[in-house]
Amino acid sequence: MRYQPVIGLEIHAELLTDSKVFCTCQNEFGGSENTRVCPRCSGMPGTLPLLNQNAVKLAARAGIATDCTVNKYSAFDRKNYFYPDLPKAYQITQFESPICTNGHITVVGGKDIRINRIHIEEDAGKLVHDDYEGVSLADYNRCGVPLIEIVTEPDFRTIEEVQDFMEQIALRLKYAGVCDARMEQGSLRVDVNISIMPVGSDVFGTRAEIKNLNSVKAIGRAIAYEIERQSEILDNGGTVVQETRRFNDNHGNTKALRSKEEAHDYRYFPEPDIPPVLFTDEELEEIVNSMPEMPQKRFARYTKAYGLPSDDASLIISNKDFSDFYDETVKINPDYKQVSNLMLGELLRNLNDSGAAVTDLKFAPSDLAKLVEMSSGSTVSKNAAKDILKIMFDNGGKPEEIAKENGFIMDNDASGLEAVIDKVIVDNADSVESYKSGNAKVFGFIMGQAMRLAGKGANPKLIKDLLTEKLK
Amino acid sequence: MDLVTMREKLDKKEISAVELTQSYLDKIKEKDKELNSYITVCEDAAIEQAKAAQEMIDSGNAGAFTGLPISVKDNICTNGVKTTCASKMLADFVPIYDATVMEKLNKEKIVMLGKTNMDEFAMGGSSQTSYFGGVKNPYDTSRVTGGSSGGAAASVAAGLCAAALGSDTGGSVRQPASFCGVTGLKPTYGAVSRWGLIAFASSLDQIGVLANSAADTGYMLNGIYGRDFNDATSSAKSKGDYTRLAGTDISKLKIGIPKEFFDGVTDEVKTAVLKAADYYKALGCELVECSLPSLEYAVSAYYLISSAEAASNLSRFDGIKYGYRSGLGEDFNDLIKASRREGFGDEVKRRIMLGNYALCSGYYDAYYKNATRIRTQIRKEYADIFEKCNVILTPTAPTTAYKIGEQEHDPVKMYLADICTVTVNIAGLPAISTTCGYGENGMPIGMSLTGRAFDEQTIIAVCDRFERDFDRKEARI
Amino acid sequence: MFNTELTRHLAELSKLEFTDAELDKMTNDMTNIIAVMDKVCGFDTSKKPYALDAVDYKDLRRDEHGESYPTEKILENADIKRGATFVVPKVV
Repeated sequence: MRYQPVIGLEIHAELLTDSKVFCTCQNEFGGSENTRVCPRCSGMPGTLPLLNQNAVKLAARAGIATDCTVNKYSAFDRKNYFYPDLPKAYQITQFESPICTNGHITVVGGKDIRINRIHIEEDAGKLVHDDYEGVSLADYNRCGVPLIEIVTEPDFRTIEEVQDFMEQIALRLKYAGVCDARMEQGSLRVDVNISIMPVGSDVFGTRAEIKNLNSVKAIGRAIAYEIERQSEILDNGGTVVQETRRFNDNHGNTKALRSKEEAHDYRYFPEPDIPPVLFTDEELEEIVNSMPEMPQKRFARYTKAYGLPSDDASLIISNKDFSDFYDETVKINPDYKQVSNLMLGELLRNLNDSGAAVTDLKFAPSDLAKLVEMSSGSTVSKNAAKDILKIMFDNGGKPEEIAKENGFIMDNDASGLEAVIDKVIVDNADSVESYKSGNAKVFGFIMGQAMRLAGKGANPKLIKDLLTEKLK
Repeated sequence: MDLVTMREKLDKKEISAVELTQSYLDKIKEKDKELNSYITVCEDAAIEQAKAAQEMIDSGNAGAFTGLPISVKDNICTNGVKTTCASKMLADFVPIYDATVMEKLNKEKIVMLGKTNMDEFAMGGSSQTSYFGGVKNPYDTSRVTGGSSGGAAASVAAGLCAAALGSDTGGSVRQPASFCGVTGLKPTYGAVSRWGLIAFASSLDQIGVLANSAADTGYMLNGIYGRDFNDATSSAKSKGDYTRLAGTDISKLKIGIPKEFFDGVTDEVKTAVLKAADYYKALGCELVECSLPSLEYAVSAYYLISSAEAASNLSRFDGIKYGYRSGLGEDFNDLIKASRREGFGDEVKRRIMLGNYALCSGYYDAYYKNATRIRTQIRKEYADIFEKCNVILTPTAPTTAYKIGEQEHDPVKMYLADICTVTVNIAGLPAISTTCGYGENGMPIGMSLTGRAFDEQTIIAVCDRFERDFDRKEARI
Repeated sequence: MFNTELTRHLAELSKLEFTDAELDKMTNDMTNIIAVMDKVCGFDTSKKPYALDAVDYKDLRRDEHGESYPTEKILENADIKRGATFVVPKVV
């Protein structure tokens, strides 16, 4: 039988705060065991949580970035369960009144994926298992790291939709300054709920929840495997069991985690130690106004208003700092295409080769704007522009000065060139002969020789025109 | 000796802080074997603190609390000093930080004589559920002190401290104060920081004071109240200075007498409290008959809410990070179960079970949620009464202190006995209990004055006025 | 109605365990206690459940990290530790 997968996501994103969500320990990745821990986040008796304002703000920003309603009133609840990475034996989360509700993201094919809610919660610690001695070692550094959980409706029907959604959400969270979205480091984690039903049916099947997915690629592989696995079960007349499964990246398969003795009953109830939070209209407005333009809006601007090819536009927006740099540059010099070409070509290559970040650049958008102006205005050649950019990248400096110092300024006076071209024609008589007898391909070679002889400052257009004239 | 006099004597150097502390330590040594009001006595540390206090006095920098020897309930965290909650679970637990109340008082070099006994995790009204043995009533050692701050009440009544810090979740300061013939103040929820108070029921817990008089409770409150960064539920609404109460004119006040509170109490209790009402009437106060119709729901709502929160708060005790760790248990699940099974006493287990019943799937709406609806209703009914009255007068407990072994093993009987005190916690109001008479058995009878939120001044003043004309008997021990 | 099975279920949620005799006693105690608690079941559900007063966003804690505690302090009360970690029997 042919089956239709039905997929929903639960995404956990670590918030880019300075301190943890309920205490003042530093929120930072890694570090020696139990060095960023205090009585509060290690759950000592008598301690109380202290909600971090910035965590609330970042959660609201995540909501705005995904077209959610940010609720003026939100409240905290306790989710009770015993696990050794959770020292209080309850997780503080938002159950009844989450901070954001009812958002959506449009994915490939123009389909809207609904976001049910975004809520704030705290991360748990880490356990290192020592199989030899049969014990686990608990490190609480990650306890109390602020998280948001983004819960979608089961609206996905294809792997592509899921992957597109994940790429978009990661990018939006980065743009909004909410999360650095490093799946491999675990700062963005996703659980996939997936069931299948016969094509044409509208009755959802029993779902499995897949954990441990640390890349967009892994998500695709895990879903493909699950569809296969569940289809096989149904084809053989079996039933899918509701369970949590773990994806194994090496084997490309999922395995059931040992099911608990009984179903979870988290016994949620209102957290008595944290008063609910209230936003005023002004406070919400301020947060909305502080949001940067979101990547999907930028994409539309680049392709529609600026006429960039969509591949180029996608590449620019994929890094917010890069895209910001582009925007600053075209604000000064609205030569959208040329700025894009130079950035996606020479600049991106230099960035990739050196591993440097856009924020480390030694020159300003105004310098790049000037360079593009110089190159399109025949002050320097296209090739010289690349050389100048390389020098700016390595050492900084103003493009005009670099061009002058290095003799990149094009000589736009044709008088000196005539002698050069005459000499080239004489020195390359064979090629000239070949060209004249109809072999157009050698023109490039002759042109190259002329450029070489003319030197760095030569204007290629002038040489080309003159050469064409002389070879007639 | 009241605290103001003690302060004067210390400041005038009629007595040294070390002598004073030593005299209390001697008395503890002499009497507490029988009473068992202290779990930990900090002999050496107290003398060291007294020396430091004396230096402060000598250098002219003494504050209101410098050198005053007090006792602290053993559920209030004291940095470096064992804090057990009277449980096997925390028998060896040494906090690594101070509760805010201790931090405040330590700044002025108060002297902590020791940590007082209580019902395990403050769950009880007898102080008999302590892992370290029950506390005996200084008026009659065959009787209970009440609880859960029974050690605190006994330490004050027997003169084993100048004043005591306790905690009150459903009456745990007021009821033992009543049973032991001392004054007990439960401040408004949020008036005193809960940071460092080992949580029983977070939305109801409040640190309070047990002392020899209303004036002394006000004196102590002055040192501990206030908004605290560490407790998001603490409030800046307290108006402060609870010491300038003497001579306050209370004759224009309206005192509410809610009839439901007198239904289930013994005749002698009823008579004694109504006699106190007459005393106020004679002063010129207007007595206003009023009603709290939802009182009939109060005990159930209180036990559901407090136990639900307790079940969650006590889940952290798993033997791994701190507290009792069983030698049994091959895996995590078995270890926690064994540690909790061996570490908790019966009453604590009952509360945890009840709390999880109230919260678990299928029962939550009918029990926990309805209990919080009742909470809203009770708060509203109090607000209505306070439209017409300044303070409310009720009994503190239905009876006087009963014989040890008489009823503390019957949970239902014990729960129902909290009827007079729990509504105050449910509504988050301040209340003070003082002795207003004696029963046939010679045991003290307590009355409670409940005030508007953050108006501790009025109830302390009203209580103080009564105490000035009431002849309180000394404890026999 | 309260029965042994429910007591067992609650014991599991509570991470407590009882011998058979204790289980019977607990079931009996709980039966009596719940009979008192049942009082709340019929309460008017149109009344609003209690909630703490909300605080304004502007009054929340500013996001500035401070010092953590020394690791040895954090581990001080643990019965069994290894290096800088708490030792937990294997989670099944």
